[in-house]
Amino acid sequence: MSTRLEGHTFRRFDGELYHLHTEILQMAGLVYEQVQMALESFQQQKLDSIRVINEREAQVDALEKSIDSVITEVLAKRGPVARDLRTIMAFSKAVTDLERLGDEAAKIAYIAATMYNNDGNNPSNYLLRDVGIMGKLACVLLKEAIEILDMLDLERAEKLLNSHDDIEEEFQAGLRRLATYVLEDARNVGHIINVVLAMKSLVRIGEHARNLVEYVVYMVSGEDIRHTESVQA
Amino acid sequence: MANTVNMSQYNEQAERRKQERRKQGKMRLSTATVTRDNRETIGNVTVPDYRIRCTDINVFYGDKHAIRNITLDIGRHEIIAMIGPSGCGKSTFLRCLNRMNDTIENCRVTGKIMMDNQDINDKSIDVVPLRAKVGMVFQKPNPFPKSVYENIAFGPRIHGLAKDKVELDEIVVTSLKRAGLWEEVKDRLDQPGTSLSGGQQQRLCIARTIAVNPEVILMDEPCSALDPIATTKIEELMDQLCADYSIVIVTHSMQQAARVSHRTAYFHLGDLIEVGATEQIFTKPVHQLTEDYITGRFG
Amino acid sequence: MNELVPPKPKTIDLVNASLAKRRASERLFRGIGLISIMMALMFLFMLFYSIVSKGYTAFRQTHIQLEVNFDQQLLDPAATRHHDVLSSADYSSLVKASLSKLFPDVTSRNEKRQLHGLVSAGAAYQLRDMVMADPALLGQTLQLWVPADDDVDMLIKGHIDRDGPETERRLRDVQIAWLDQLAAQEKLSLKFNMLFFANGDSREPELAGIWGALMGSIYTLLVTLLLSFPMGVATAVYLEEFAPKSKWVDLIEVNINNLAAVPSIIFGLLGLAVFINFMSFPRSAPLVGGLVLAFMTLPTIIIASRGALKSVPPSIREAALGVGASKMQTVYFHVLPLATPGMLTGTIIGMARALGETAPLLMIGMVAFIVDIPSDIFDPATALPVQIYLWADSPERAFVERTSAAIIVLLGFLFVMNALAIILRKKFERRW
Repeated sequence: MSTRLEGHTFRRFDGELYHLHTEILQMAGLVYEQVQMALESFQQQKLDSIRVINEREAQVDALEKSIDSVITEVLAKRGPVARDLRTIMAFSKAVTDLERLGDEAAKIAYIAATMYNNDGNNPSNYLLRDVGIMGKLACVLLKEAIEILDMLDLERAEKLLNSHDDIEEEFQAGLRRLATYVLEDARNVGHIINVVLAMKSLVRIGEHARNLVEYVVYMVSGEDIRHTESVQA
Repeated sequence: MANTVNMSQYNEQAERRKQERRKQGKMRLSTATVTRDNRETIGNVTVPDYRIRCTDINVFYGDKHAIRNITLDIGRHEIIAMIGPSGCGKSTFLRCLNRMNDTIENCRVTGKIMMDNQDINDKSIDVVPLRAKVGMVFQKPNPFPKSVYENIAFGPRIHGLAKDKVELDEIVVTSLKRAGLWEEVKDRLDQPGTSLSGGQQQRLCIARTIAVNPEVILMDEPCSALDPIATTKIEELMDQLCADYSIVIVTHSMQQAARVSHRTAYFHLGDLIEVGATEQIFTKPVHQLTEDYITGRFG
Repeated sequence: MNELVPPKPKTIDLVNASLAKRRASERLFRGIGLISIMMALMFLFMLFYSIVSKGYTAFRQTHIQLEVNFDQQLLDPAATRHHDVLSSADYSSLVKASLSKLFPDVTSRNEKRQLHGLVSAGAAYQLRDMVMADPALLGQTLQLWVPADDDVDMLIKGHIDRDGPETERRLRDVQIAWLDQLAAQEKLSLKFNMLFFANGDSREPELAGIWGALMGSIYTLLVTLLLSFPMGVATAVYLEEFAPKSKWVDLIEVNINNLAAVPSIIFGLLGLAVFINFMSFPRSAPLVGGLVLAFMTLPTIIIASRGALKSVPPSIREAALGVGASKMQTVYFHVLPLATPGMLTGTIIGMARALGETAPLLMIGMVAFIVDIPSDIFDPATALPVQIYLWADSPERAFVERTSAAIIVLLGFLFVMNALAIILRKKFERRW
């Protein structure tokens, strides 16, 4: 019982923490969809999704504000300590990361819009290949991170953090590949810059997702494992 | 609007899985790796440069075993806080340190309390010099019903700390200054100590204690009868005093323990459950009971 | 589902419904309290009224004015002015001469005796004292007020029925006629009764005074106070602060409490057996009375003092012990000063009881007829309540008012003692 957020003698505290958790997950769900939509817009030229993403951005911002105010309130009223304190800290940081995730998604969608909005000179699929691969990896990672955040599962969190960083590797490989395209045809440079920017965003998305998992680890075990090479499982 | 549907589906799904997880009890969030049933003391009870070293302290009130096998060091220049639910024995333990338990009928204390290479729990030890060395501040401000001056002067006078009136005056003034009370009472030293406000009375009691120049100060819930402003003043005072004294404070306010102490000891029903640096206790306690208590999940 | 089920009554309705009953019982209780206080006040008033109305007349005494010629031939023919001569001279004949001068036509022996009977025997003592104090009076003639006989006093105060049959009166018709004559000449008057406050006991009511008994009481109480207060306080302090809890202490406690309820006459018997028979202390002495009353008062003082010590908050003791005071210092500097008012109250209650106590004093002989004023605690003496008891027993009519007057004095003494106690208590309380 006491291994969860609940169990306070003062039950409203339970309610507030639960509410926070739910709102964070809701925000995470929104952000995840935004990333997916951004990738779709990038790869399938769904240019109207940029509008949807912008609308969603407003929702995410509203949630961020709401969560921040609840966190401030809990800090002020409950004076949380130990796991409650870690939970609040982790939630507070997770919100920032989620908000950044949303920004990155918006960035990708914006890049897509500029890329496809140039009188028919669309990039070839070769150029978009890396974005597709990285996007899938990022989505899987983000989904896993959100699920870990939901379950507060230390085992899965540690497994994820110990796993190899595929996205970064893909990014490096992609850069090398794209360089050959530039050498091949200098006219590709405009597109390639956009693609690289999108790839960089995806790398960031991966980093933010990993951050989320690190917060879960801190929350559950009290260990601050940020900026360490790997976690001992 | 397929997205909205997606999202709500996701939430639903998440909620369902959460419920399942909860049933399995797998969602651990706690750093507490020691279960509730464990009664061994967790954490390091010793410090290298100790002022008082208690070994295997047991206290009995008649047949009642009030505290069990407590081993704990009180460090030099440290503030150590004792926390725990009511009746957990923290005050009893505190009162062992200056033999105040002697005043209670049929109270028996066993174990060794070493201070300056002396077992102060030994019956042959004279409590008068001991109490001059280990001062005590009580829960309720209890100034003597005499003047402010007399309150402070009593201790130095009975211990013969001042040769003449001038020296005594000096001790009184210094003590009041150190207790941060001088500015407030300098014009009414001849007025009864009981006419001061609650917070001032408690600081007067602290001044009375430090007037004897003890080495250890015991505080038994010194702020429980005070308002927050007065509490803050006392806490600030403790922070300053710990440069010269070792302070042992029993408190019901976990926030206070967290604010002022360097080490924290958690007592539970007569057992010392966990000792550790205050930061550690209040961020990642090891014992389940400690965590339950400080996060307000008790019972 | 059933709508006929009456709604649950609101708490406030229930409260309102019961309010009238609660108020009524409150009023009833207040009423009873008020009535009992009124009754108590009424009885007190009746008591005071009966005592004061009977007793106040004793503070004034009928005096007769005489022209006294301090005849040197009669008193000191050899003009030695010697102490013994002056003290053994026949002063009563001076009084008789003065009376005869007032009523020259009284000649028969019988009538002369009746005439001389109008003036108290104390008149002669008064003259003697005057001469002894100032021998230069010899040969002079002075107008003097001398006390009248108690029967005259009673007549003037209206306690003797003038119109009753002569045989049932203590004064003959002719005596009344003389008195009327004196009154007409304004030679008869009520004056402040100094003798009552200055004399010891006497068979003559007009000469009987309270001073001896008062001094006896004061000496007795002094002995009692000096013995019982320190002993009682010390016992209480030991039992309360120092004694370890044990069966013995419990036993002592129980016995002290029981002693407080022992009839006082038992203490008198103890005093008789131990102090007078065994230790051969002087009989009737305030010393023995004081010892006996001290025994009687001790339990009261101990119990009250323990109560006072118990009511000193333990936090004060802890505070003193906490700065390293020894047990003794704690008690002496902090506990005792706080307990003093309570201890004083207990002591005064005990002393007041001792002041009013008669029975034990009867046992040790303080009931004797003692004329002399005691000058120390070894002189035979009596005490105020015993004096009241003695006078109440006397047949003379004039002793009735004296009894009441003595009660007034006793009450006044009590009042002064209590006032003193309150002043003392206030003084100690002011030291916080």
